[in-house]
Amino acid sequence: MAKYKIVHYINQFFGQVGGEEKADIPPEKREGKVGPGLAFTKALGDECEITSTIICGDSYFGENMEEATATILEWVKEEDPDLFIAGPAFNAGRYGVACGSIASSVKNELGIPVISGMYIENPGADMYKSDVLIVETGNSAAAMRKAVPVMAKLALKILHGEEIGSAKAEGYIPQGVRKNYFAEERGAKRAVDMIIKKLAGDEFETEYPMPIFDHVDPAPALKDLAHANIAIVTSGGIVPKGNPDHIESSSASHYGEYNISGIDDLDSTNFETAHGGHDPVYANEDPDRVIPVDILRQMEKEGKIGKLNDYYYTTVGNGTAVASAKKFAEEIAQKLKDQNVDAVILTST
Amino acid sequence: MWIVTNNPLVRDKLSSIVEVQYHDETYLGILHVMRDQIHEGNCLLTHPLSGSVKPNETPYKSVLMASGKSGQTDFDSLKLIESAEATAQKFIDLRPHYVEEMPERVKEDCQLIDYTLIVSAFPSAGLTTL
Amino acid sequence: MKLQLGYIDINDIKFDKNPRIENGVLYVDPDALVASVLQDELIKDAHFEIAKPGESIRITPVKDVIQPRVKVEGPGGVFPGMVAKETTVGSGVTHVLRGMAVVTAGRIVGFQEGIIDMSGPGADYTPFSKLNNLVLVIEPQENFKQHEYEHAARMAGFKIACEIAELARELSPDETETFESPTIKESFENFPGLPRVGYVQMLQSQGLLHDTYVYGVDAKRIVPTIISPTETMDGAIVSGNCVSACDKNTTYHHQNNPVVAELFKEHGKTINFVGQIITNENVYLADKIRSSDWSAKLAEYLSLDGAIISQEGFGNPDTDLIMNCTKIEDKGIKTVIITDEYAGQDGKSQSLADADPKANACVTGGNANEVIHLPKMDKVIGTLDYVDTIAGGHQGSLQADGSIIAELQVITGATNEMGFNKLSAR
Repeated sequence: MAKYKIVHYINQFFGQVGGEEKADIPPEKREGKVGPGLAFTKALGDECEITSTIICGDSYFGENMEEATATILEWVKEEDPDLFIAGPAFNAGRYGVACGSIASSVKNELGIPVISGMYIENPGADMYKSDVLIVETGNSAAAMRKAVPVMAKLALKILHGEEIGSAKAEGYIPQGVRKNYFAEERGAKRAVDMIIKKLAGDEFETEYPMPIFDHVDPAPALKDLAHANIAIVTSGGIVPKGNPDHIESSSASHYGEYNISGIDDLDSTNFETAHGGHDPVYANEDPDRVIPVDILRQMEKEGKIGKLNDYYYTTVGNGTAVASAKKFAEEIAQKLKDQNVDAVILTST
Repeated sequence: MWIVTNNPLVRDKLSSIVEVQYHDETYLGILHVMRDQIHEGNCLLTHPLSGSVKPNETPYKSVLMASGKSGQTDFDSLKLIESAEATAQKFIDLRPHYVEEMPERVKEDCQLIDYTLIVSAFPSAGLTTL
Repeated sequence: MKLQLGYIDINDIKFDKNPRIENGVLYVDPDALVASVLQDELIKDAHFEIAKPGESIRITPVKDVIQPRVKVEGPGGVFPGMVAKETTVGSGVTHVLRGMAVVTAGRIVGFQEGIIDMSGPGADYTPFSKLNNLVLVIEPQENFKQHEYEHAARMAGFKIACEIAELARELSPDETETFESPTIKESFENFPGLPRVGYVQMLQSQGLLHDTYVYGVDAKRIVPTIISPTETMDGAIVSGNCVSACDKNTTYHHQNNPVVAELFKEHGKTINFVGQIITNENVYLADKIRSSDWSAKLAEYLSLDGAIISQEGFGNPDTDLIMNCTKIEDKGIKTVIITDEYAGQDGKSQSLADADPKANACVTGGNANEVIHLPKMDKVIGTLDYVDTIAGGHQGSLQADGSIIAELQVITGATNEMGFNKLSAR
């Protein structure tokens, strides 16, 4: 019996090419299995074979998405595998986005089944979970040993054409896709069973989890704008020219704190954007378009606001994990409090 | 109190009872008109997703509106219209060309249903019905 | 209030000059019934057809489904305020023709939906494919207003159901079942240790083809009130609803309310089923606020510990549902809501037009946007003329081979929000 053919996509690190310094390598195709492919081969057993592995640098993929995708799709098309596995990417943001993106393209453009694996907070998970089956993994490569068997089991089910069970049963990240099915009991009975459990304080499972909005109550209005200290915080990536703290163009790992006292206007000579998720031309031409320093200075002079805070805070929102953003925000908030800031203008791109 | 509508039947039959602001707009277009009026400080008296005929099955929508408290935005109305717009967009994306495909007689029935929906609010609004 | 239901099983329906029920077979005289329907001058023509489970038959456009019942003992009559006098019903003995229904079908407006397939994949989604259906197809006179005609068609269904049910008045039932709803005092005395649970039923009340009637009163003109579940078994609530067929309650649903049935099953065992509150779903926002305030007030007045809330219809009732749920939860009363979803054909869109974290216990009747392919049936009762324009259908829904590709929402009762079906979504 012919073996199922599998093509595996991994990044420069798992492809054992190198670390961050090799993140800009263009895609390359190797015969057979590489890195985590060994573990997959064992877990998948005799009926499957990883016939080729595609390795691509995370930065390269992020910055040359169209080219990289076209090249990889061409290779996958030639190979015509039964399944395409991307990752697992764990909590690596750019890797996760690359896995999700390429898997989605393979699935939608070539009609080949795909799976991937990621940590729940990987931004790639949120972006691609509705389109791609993404197995939930731990947050670092140490979780490889746990992730592979779950992904392999799901892979075999897909290859065998078996029905894929619920997210919980199969271990993938819920796709947010609603699918009808016939339950054991009619709805009214399910409702009565649910109210009995809810009244008893027992655990019950709602059939439709309400969408969760991370709701923040608005702060009370400023009483006295003319004496308020106003600060700027942005996820638009505006940094002093040259990006002195090397804030990443995507999946930022840190934020910057910069002094703008004495600066009345941002322009292309003194500031720029580090953001890699949009066309930077207009932001670079006049960074005031992202953080309105010019207007705020003017208002400061006119006495409309008390003062523009000496420091502003900046990071790149592009693919940055929610957990990282929360961490940045906690630190920034404390710094703002220490500087007696009364209000903050938050801008994004 | 006034009606905002894109339904000619509502304009023709109800103008003698209440002010009718008729706009020759699409379903989404008339929701935008309502939203703009809410931004200007007015409020909704009826629900913008009245009825069970889906936004991609009828071109018509009418609501009753009234002036709000001066200088304040009515956030309940705003929330309703924004979520109505999102819901309508969702349906219309599924079937964008429904109006062009719709036979004239069906349009008339849609006008009638929309008319009965808005008239159903009249007693509550203190308006007489025909 | 105590009501005994006596079930007369109907396993087959046949046309015969001598109307009777014999050995589980209902014999009806179609000519006599047509004559009865035509007494209404608004109806130009009418005829009857029989559709049995498993047959290759499609019924459309369905207006209402009605179960014939007759009051044998006790005050009042079935369909009070509609057919019988307004006298309060819900006690005594009522005979029920089980296993059958009267289905009314025919055009009222040009985008009307409502499909019952008696076999094939569509049959799995509607509970009425499992019944022996006596279908009344009506043709209106021209030049009458649609709402007058809607009234005529609605009343014709009730009238025929009552005439047929009369045949069961003197019969001895195949099975009986007794339901008793307590007074407030009794409810405290009967099961003091069990949690007090009530049922809040929302009734669609918005306009033509969107109305529900309680003892003959248009539900948009009621304020929320307490009703005995046994009253609904005698037809106290009837449907004037049929657009968005999947999540509209037919009269049959009201007569056989599944929430009531399931609550009675647990009554005295795990819960104390205290009573039913009915409220409306008006288009006027102040009415929504008042009605939800009142349903919460009545739930508190009944000293409920928990409440099941059922919705009817799409869109703005989501607002009523969430208002009812949050206001009742705010009284410290735990809720479970029953709804259905419009999550798009791919299931990826937001399901409801309103949401709140307090609605943390939700039962769903399924995604009404999901697409279904209904194969051609040998026989169509009614007409396929409207299939291309019906809600959930779209231009081209009707295929050249007579099959239909449409969303589930075209099927009568498919995603019922009283939890009548097994369908759900995940």
